[in-house]
Amino acid sequence: MKYILMMNTMKSGHGVPGWPGKDLQAHIGFMIDINKELHERGELVSAEGLSFPDLAKLVRAGKDGRPLTDGIFPESKEFLAGFWIIDVDGPQRAYEIAAKVSAAPGPGGAPLNMPIEVRPIMSGPPPEML
Amino acid sequence: MKYILLMSGTAAGVEGYHAWPKQDIEAHMAVLHRINKDLAESGEFIATQGLAEPKEAKVVRGDKNGVPVTDGIFPESKEFLLGYWIVDVPNAERAYAIAGRISSASSNMPIEVRQFATYEVKSR
Repeated sequence: MKYILMMNTMKSGHGVPGWPGKDLQAHIGFMIDINKELHERGELVSAEGLSFPDLAKLVRAGKDGRPLTDGIFPESKEFLAGFWIIDVDGPQRAYEIAAKVSAAPGPGGAPLNMPIEVRPIMSGPPPEML
Repeated sequence: MKYILLMSGTAAGVEGYHAWPKQDIEAHMAVLHRINKDLAESGEFIATQGLAEPKEAKVVRGDKNGVPVTDGIFPESKEFLLGYWIVDVPNAERAYAIAGRISSASSNMPIEVRQFATYEVKSR
């Protein structure tokens, strides 16, 4: 079963966290190790980090189908910082992986315990809609 | 340049979609299929996925021992990711044009467009 693990932790206007360099390195190293482990277990489908919210745009189609872009977001909006797509046996394993990611080290090496949203991925649209 | 096009909506919005007449849902799906096919033919398509419904979403935190603590209660205002497209295009304008087409096919829903982070991570 495929799941997406979403790290919705970025807020408007925030860039790279102002942590000491070694703490940032430890955080990134932790993520690299998790990705390696998931890959070796055959559970990693993909993992990506997104650019910071200052490059984000909201697009709607105008009347003629042309894109209307807007870069103003409410301050409360949570931005996706990155995601993992995993292929695992069931939800418990997805939650285990999410908990591991949640505990990534932050400033001073303390676990961040950040919330990770876990959602099953649909294998395709319902047949009656095709 | 890789971009992700994120389609998000609230749980109430998803319920509203289920109430669309069948033919409207079919027309909506057909246009999205057409867009996916066009992107595949132009070589810009990387991936697309729809996600299961918000009621199946959990938020997970690790406790002190790294054991997962799950919670399924979200504020009503929360926007859930409904689906996404990953495209590889020459520039942002092309990503916006594709997002515009998807928006147009989906009741002019807003589509969040984000570039992938490309900085190199130095090996330790």
